[in-house]
Parts: sequence; C-alpha cells; structure tokens
Amino acid sequence: MSISTARLTAATFAGRVAGAASRLARQGTGASIRGKVMLKVDPGALGKLLAGKRIAVVSGTNGKTTTTHFLAAAVRASLGSHADRLVHNADGANLHHGLASALSGHPEADIAILESDERVVGDVIRLGRPEVLVLLNFSRDQLDRHHEIKSLGRSWRTALAGAGPSGPVVVANADEPLVVWAALAAKQVIWVDTSTTWTQDSSLCPECDSTLIRIQPDAASGLVGDWYCSGCSLARPKGDYRVESGTIVDRSQQVWDPQLSVPGVFNVSNAACALAAAELLGVDPRTALRGMRTVTSPAGRFATAQFGTTTARLLLAKNPAGWAEALPLAQTQTVILAIDSAAADGRDVSWLWDVDYERLAGRKVIATGRRAQDLAVRLRYAEVDYRCIPDLAAALADHSEPVDVIATYTPFQRLRRMGRV
Amino acid sequence: MNGRTPGRRVEVVLIYQSLLGLYGDRGNATVLIKRLAWRGYDPVLTVVEPGNPLPDTGHVYLLGGGEDAAQITAVRALRADGGLYRAVERGAAVLAVCAGYQIVGNTFTVGYQDEVISGLGLLDVTTTRGPVRAVGEIISRWNGRDGDDQWLTGFENHGGYTRLGPRAEPLATVEIGIGNCNDGTEGAVSGTVIGTYPHGPVLARNPALADHLLELALGHELEPLAHHEIKKLRRQRLARVRRSYARRR
Repeated sequence: MSISTARLTAATFAGRVAGAASRLARQGTGASIRGKVMLKVDPGALGKLLAGKRIAVVSGTNGKTTTTHFLAAAVRASLGSHADRLVHNADGANLHHGLASALSGHPEADIAILESDERVVGDVIRLGRPEVLVLLNFSRDQLDRHHEIKSLGRSWRTALAGAGPSGPVVVANADEPLVVWAALAAKQVIWVDTSTTWTQDSSLCPECDSTLIRIQPDAASGLVGDWYCSGCSLARPKGDYRVESGTIVDRSQQVWDPQLSVPGVFNVSNAACALAAAELLGVDPRTALRGMRTVTSPAGRFATAQFGTTTARLLLAKNPAGWAEALPLAQTQTVILAIDSAAADGRDVSWLWDVDYERLAGRKVIATGRRAQDLAVRLRYAEVDYRCIPDLAAALADHSEPVDVIATYTPFQRLRRMGRV
Repeated sequence: MNGRTPGRRVEVVLIYQSLLGLYGDRGNATVLIKRLAWRGYDPVLTVVEPGNPLPDTGHVYLLGGGEDAAQITAVRALRADGGLYRAVERGAAVLAVCAGYQIVGNTFTVGYQDEVISGLGLLDVTTTRGPVRAVGEIISRWNGRDGDDQWLTGFENHGGYTRLGPRAEPLATVEIGIGNCNDGTEGAVSGTVIGTYPHGPVLARNPALADHLLELALGHELEPLAHHEIKKLRRQRLARVRRSYARRR
C-alpha cells in the first residue's frame, strides 16, 4: 500500500467513525461530518476518490438535486443489475466534504453522478476531469455570502478554459446568459432550450456589460423566448434539445413525453438537461426516461409526509427564482410557508419582497419558521390573509385537508426529519 | 382640488429595477403604494427601465442596490436622462439605497482597480472601497427623532465606504453595524434626497421613514397607520440583533 493510499484509507476510517458518532447523536445523516473529518486527515482525498471514475457533474442555483437524481436514475436504468457501479451524492451534500463522503461510501463504484455547489465546480473540473458537466442556471441566492453571481460564472469559465481539450462536454441552459457565457469556454457544448422565464438576475451582458435585449416566451401564441446583447455578439445559441409544451425534443427532432413523477414545467427543463447528459454517457433516451420516471421525491423535494393527522407535501424554495417555480405548484386552500435565515438560508431575508406572494390572495396562509414575522409583514402588504405560527410543529398540526408547504432550506430539512421523508 | 383630498393621484417611480433591484428593493415601492392606498390616495407605480425617460410627474423616486457593472450603467443612463435632477428641483422626494445611495453621491469606485466613477452629485457624499465588506444586520438611531420611530433597522451589504461632505447631514447614528464608513454615521440627507445603506427592504422595516418620504413629497403630514405585525417585527428585530451583538462582544 502506498503512503498516499494509506492516508486515504485512514481518512475514510476516521470519517466513518465521526459519521457514525454524529448519527448516534442524532445530528443528521453524518455525511457532512464524515467528509469533513476525511478531508482533515487527507486534504487530497477528494482528488484520489475521483480518480479513475467516469464522472458527470451537475451545478446551478436551482434544480441541481433533482436533475442529478434524474441523471443518476437514467444511468442506473441502463446498468440493470450492475447498478452498484454507480455512486451519487443523493442527499444533496454538494461541497468538497459532501462529495468526498459520498464517494468514500462506494469505493467500488466506477461511475460518479455528482451534484456540485456552484463554488466547487472549478475544483471538480480540475481534480476529477469529468466527462460531462451540466450547467443549469444562475440566480441571486444567499447574497450575504455570494455578493456577485457573475464571479461564480467567471470561475466556471476559467476552469473550463483551463481544462482545454481534456475538459468536460458541457450541457448548458441556452436561456441563461451567464451560463452560456461560462459554457462557451468548453471544448464542446450541447445547448438545451429550456423555455426559462426567470430573467430578473441577468440584465447586463456578462461579456461586455451592455444591456441584454430580451423577447419573453409566450406559451399562448407559441412565441419562443430569445435574448441577445445590444453591444457584442453574445446571443442565445440555438438549442440542440428543447422543451416545448411540456415535451422534450431531442437532437434528432424526436419528441418525448417525459411523464415525470415530479411536478412543474421547470422539472421538464431539468429532465431535458439530464436526458442530454445521459445520451452523452451512452444511455439511449427511452431507457433514460424510464429511469427518470422513477424519481419521485429527490432528497425530500415534492415528498408527501404525515405530521400527526396532517398530510403535507413538501416543496423547497431557496431564492426568488425558486419561489417563482414553487408558488404555482402550491394548490391547496391552506398553504404553509416556512422561512428561516440560518447560514444555509442566507441571513438576509430581503428576497421576500422579490417573491410574488400576491398570487396567494384568497387563500389561507400560515407563516412559520424563525423569520415568520418578516413574512407576516410581507403578506400584510400583499393583502393576503395569514396566521403567524412561528413553531413549525404547531403550524403543521391538525389540518383536516392536505396542505402544501413551501420552505427555505433549514426548515425544509427539519420538516424532512419530522415527517421521515 | 385640495392637496389633502383623498383620491389624489400620487406617483411613485421605481428606477431601473433590472439594474438596481438586487435586495428586494421593489419592496420599498410596494410599501409606499400600499400606505398611500390605505389612506385613500390614488397611488400610481411607474417602473422605469434604461432607455425610457423618467417621468417628470413623480412624487417619490426610488433607487436600490446593484452590482458594479449595473451601477455604472445606471448612473450613465440617469445622467443622460436628466429627469432625476428636474424631479429634485421640483421638490420630489428621493430614496436611494445601497448602490443607489453611492450613485446619487459625488463619486464612487468600482472593481479592484478602484476605478472612480462620477455620481449624480445630488448628495454631497463620496464613496471608496472599504477595508472589509459590511454585511449584516444594522441598527441606527434616526437623528432628530424620538420614541419608537427613532430606531432604524435593516440589513446592510456593501463594500464601499461613504464619507459625507459639508453639504450633507447624516441620516442616523449607528448603534450596531458599519453604516457609512464605520465612523458612527449612517446615510445622508440633503433637502428631499435621502441616501441610506440598509435594505430589508428599509421602508418595510421602518414605516415611519416611509411616511416621512411621503410627507416630504406631499408637503403635509399623514395620519398614522397602526399595523401590529410591523410593530412586532420591529420589536423582534431590534431585540434579536441586540441580543446576538451582546453575545458576540
């Protein structure tokens, strides 16, 4: 055994011990602490664990957990009885330690399907030489920590340019200017026209800072969305794949009805990106979609859970773009909204004013979580009827009809534990 | 028609939301519009984007936060437009928050090369890159106010530090947070123009400041509005921020 391998073995063992201790202490799954301890013992662990694997990575602000689940399910479907060849950070732990933890749990796997935090993409490209990289979108999120989303895009672009011909083939959302600009540094790009309608986080050209001109898509008239820069040649690339009225049109113009088990048009867009990535990994679309349809509640998203006598469906929304997707899905007469401002939620809740809560008028809203009072003021100005019940368990208690719950990250994780999903 | 008559049209102008709307700044417009409507006025919200002229009919003009490139684009467009200067001459009220505050000053700097950009000169303040980014909850005391209204609560997030010249007065005195440049002052006032760092957005958390802006623009006092949830939010924010600050010391 080489010294390098011995150190990784020691790190993996130390990590397992710490993870088990954390689980015993009921501090979550232990995945995060396991990875942290591993990287402490062997700072080179992530590179070693990634070495020699076929790797596909998914990143972006919203939808990366679900898209990674789609891609993993698609590849798993193609592996049949050899599904254990695949490792996937299914719990959504996507920083260095989360990736190390997942990889060390399946050392025998030779295919890794990984979701990566936006900040970690550059390191994964350098350390793991992934074959495929899926870049979904960029929007404002946790601005108390990431002051400029453009700097994240720049880090992707730099890493792709640095990787050159040994870099990944990128699957990129053609409707997101910053994603397009970053992806253009890759050796090859498969563009996906996702029909994204969220445009509030990209008004200036990432290349030259001129104003971007936009044509909004309109489903009713069939008008396709478009964007181009008023000052340089950056423009929306033509999609190799595209999302059209809930279907996915692939490279050979074949139309697929995705029939997913998770709701929302945005998940059809996520599925289109996963389908493109799966084809790059050699999975045919029919098999890929068969796998993707088995995805029902990736890391608790869209899961239905029982809280005493209350049946609740859990939706996650972390930022204005995410809320714009989640709010239309909440269909129940009573809707519970859970807001917190722990580090993982972003300590600044000013984004509440960028969310169109006005659309909940006429329904009963329960504001809950540690920042419920901030939401109460927002709902007051939105003229939406609400009750403020800061305690999560109390807010969920005793609903005779099913309720939809939309939560930011921290209360979402708490609800998953409470509802065991 | 008497200026106080309910039903009077009052126009709030939200400037360049696509460039200067980073921190829920639209919320300041929502708050003003609703506070007018609840008092029986006929509020109109005008959202202006670069390329379209600012209306000359506005009562209150709002500028919010944005990234460096957006800030430069916005200041160029506003200078070319000229409408904000005319509005201030007319006596319209201006609330400029964060990047917007820097824009209405004399100069500000962007990027790590500290490129100096000319502002609009509506407030006698100058902004340069500070030693550490100011990120966190901020509490300040509104100069010249007393009672519960004197406490201004918000969240600041800015890399630029702002120094006041002789023709601007500080808006408030910092209790917790950085404010203008860690010199104990926060914001600046000159006539009907108010600049400030906290968002949150600032008018949602500080309804007295919202009404003050409206009173500046309308030229008369407004009857108070009592909203228990806003009072409770203010109490909660002030208490929690003070408690966590005391723990850290």
